[in-house]
Amino acid sequence: MSSPVDLRGFLAGFLGEADEHLTSANANLVAVEQSLAKAETNPRAVRELFRSLHTIKGLSAMVGVEPIVEISHAMETVLRMADLASGRLSEDAADLLQKGLHAIDERVRALAKGASPQPAPESLIDAFSALEARGTSNGGGDEIVLEIDAALASKFTAGEKQQLASAAAAGKRALRVDFTPSPGRADGLSITAVRERVGRVADIVKVVPVSIPESEASPGGLCFALFVVTSAEDGVLGDAAGSDSSGIVAVAHRPRVEPARAEIERDDGSDAHRGTFVRVEVSRLDEALECLSSLVVTRFKLVRAVASLAASGVDVRDLSLIVGETGRDLRDLRAAIVRTRMVTVRSLLERVPLMVRGLTRDSDRAVKVILETGEAELDKSVAERVLPAILHLVRNAVDHGIETRSERLRAGKPEAGTLRITCSQHSNTELDLTLSDDGRGLDRDAVAKRANRPVPESDAELLDLIALPGVSTAGRVTTTSGRGLGMDIVKRIVVGDLGGALSLETEPGVGTTFTLRVPLTITIVDAFSFECGGERFVTPIGAVEEIVEIDPAHVVRVPVAHGGGRDAKMLRRRGEGLPLFGLSGLFGLKPASTGPGKALIIRRQAQQYAFEVERMLGQQEVVVRPLEDPLVRVTGVSGSTDLGDGKPTLVLDLVALCGTISSREEALA
Amino acid sequence: MSVLHVLFKVADAEYVVPAADVVQMESFTTATFVPGTRAHVAGLVQVRGQVVPVIDVRLRFNLPKLEPTLDSRVVIVKDGARTVALLVDAAREVVRIPPSDFHPPPEVVSRQSKGFVKSVATSGNRLVMLVDFQKIIGEEPNHAE
Repeated sequence: MSSPVDLRGFLAGFLGEADEHLTSANANLVAVEQSLAKAETNPRAVRELFRSLHTIKGLSAMVGVEPIVEISHAMETVLRMADLASGRLSEDAADLLQKGLHAIDERVRALAKGASPQPAPESLIDAFSALEARGTSNGGGDEIVLEIDAALASKFTAGEKQQLASAAAAGKRALRVDFTPSPGRADGLSITAVRERVGRVADIVKVVPVSIPESEASPGGLCFALFVVTSAEDGVLGDAAGSDSSGIVAVAHRPRVEPARAEIERDDGSDAHRGTFVRVEVSRLDEALECLSSLVVTRFKLVRAVASLAASGVDVRDLSLIVGETGRDLRDLRAAIVRTRMVTVRSLLERVPLMVRGLTRDSDRAVKVILETGEAELDKSVAERVLPAILHLVRNAVDHGIETRSERLRAGKPEAGTLRITCSQHSNTELDLTLSDDGRGLDRDAVAKRANRPVPESDAELLDLIALPGVSTAGRVTTTSGRGLGMDIVKRIVVGDLGGALSLETEPGVGTTFTLRVPLTITIVDAFSFECGGERFVTPIGAVEEIVEIDPAHVVRVPVAHGGGRDAKMLRRRGEGLPLFGLSGLFGLKPASTGPGKALIIRRQAQQYAFEVERMLGQQEVVVRPLEDPLVRVTGVSGSTDLGDGKPTLVLDLVALCGTISSREEALA
Repeated sequence: MSVLHVLFKVADAEYVVPAADVVQMESFTTATFVPGTRAHVAGLVQVRGQVVPVIDVRLRFNLPKLEPTLDSRVVIVKDGARTVALLVDAAREVVRIPPSDFHPPPEVVSRQSKGFVKSVATSGNRLVMLVDFQKIIGEEPNHAE
């Protein structure tokens, strides 16, 4: 983006599209003006015009042509008001819109010539604001909405409609009165007589014959709808028309604002996007995400610059507001880009049934696959990473979890086993994928025996055991699953690569359920930054249960049986002792200060750990880049980020670090 | 036909790597420490937005560590998909050396250097060693794994 060539390429695209939308905006404005000349409204053209300007605004914002953004924004506001008023526009508004389009056109042309566009004309923007103020001051209260059956509405001329609307605006009532002629009528009224009688108490705008179901009251299957404008009471009118008040319906009313607004929104959402798909290479999306990432970094720099200005005594209130605003915009932009990268879990798993059919084809077992994924979505990069883990678990379930037909029948189960994959959003950032089978369950004694370890007591411990490299869940070797490879890889993908969690529930004879909790997206996380050992680190806030001040009176030294030089401590908290680790000590760094620090409380499975850091720096969104080189791939570090100083800062995975600590202690013991 | 090589200094010796494998050279002040890595991994630096690990070639060659100086450079090399920075005492020359000038190192040297020295050449009146940088950046698992 920084090179001029890129920008020119981008600009060419912008000019082309802007031109197209300007043309359509002009055409729609002409349509609006023509309707205006006939005293009609043209809500459709107004909406189209709004849409064109909205797109022009978006495009201009993208390439940073601020004058056009400003003009189109002002025009949009007026058009939105017109839309709320069912497309009614005043003549001055139409004039101003014309000027606005012209101003945009001028600036697009300037850009095409390589000149920088003039700023938005102040007089024009002011005029739009004045119009807007006028519109909002009377709340659009003069605007009238006609409610006439679509079939009948087409029979009205614009003038007739205008007559109804303007009478209503002037305080009269616009009504529809129905008259059903019948030879059996007690009053013997005919439509001619009714016309005459109604004409005395109301202005008749139009009479429309309407066919209705034949009945005793209407042997001809016909009635007449009289559209009138009147100040007379319903009773008087009813008498005149020979009908009771139930036959009188108001056809004009003042609009309620909310539904109208909803319409423009819904319209934007459905018409513009329904059925319109753009296939985009993932690399392009990544590029956009990359640019977004550097924007996040630039914002950090901006925030810092503002902070240092403030520190030198400059009044930065305005600047801070703007910085806050860019933060919100950035978040929206991020959400928009992230959304474009989302794929549905349904599409991700669509090959599972096929795979299961393949696995069971030459076997003596039958497996029914049930996918209950709903509309859940995942970031494409997460989806790609998690898929192998899911396929692996599917394979395990089919090959080892679900029994053969005869075994199942003997156990009193249905002949065919069931493999159910469901997913549910755990939080705004995490998705739970659950794979359950109704098979034989895991045999913990057998697993323990093969691993040469004591029998695990809980499912969590059992999971730890089967996730050890080289431990098999299978009683036998099959061609598809092999033996002993697998759960360690599943765990590495879910926990290590994705920073998610893996859990297991199994019951002998009943079945096994694996739950994969994965982040919806892995690129940007909310993180705490802190200092220890003179280095700066960040860690995702999701992993931190609590941050506490360390009171030296609550720290106790723990005897260490082995491992020279290590000192073990415990932090007393809420009547419990938590293992306390100085992070600088763990990392072999010299503590930069000796005063009492803060402790980050991290939970890994049932155990809480406290990590001492020297200073908390703050909380911010960070872009996590995975560290892929084997030289720097270490447990406890999930990636690096740039906090705006151009230097990498490590993103720590403290939960994983708890894991290494506990396994190291285990090894020593 | 001579081939361009980047020449760098470590301690009192001069080494070369083919310029084709070098992405760029940067001055060096500090790297971000990564806990749990091998001693010769100096940490991470950010080069043109990319985060790359730095190997302290002195430590890799079992030489005493040197605090960064104004001459300190990182030579960023590419090996397939991997990009790694080599921290050296100085690097500012590019030299042309015909392939025929390179000779295998004496066997003792080869063994002493654990294979880091691929061949030896004289450029002008200097003795330069062509390093096997793939071996220098070689994948050796970290403590934790």
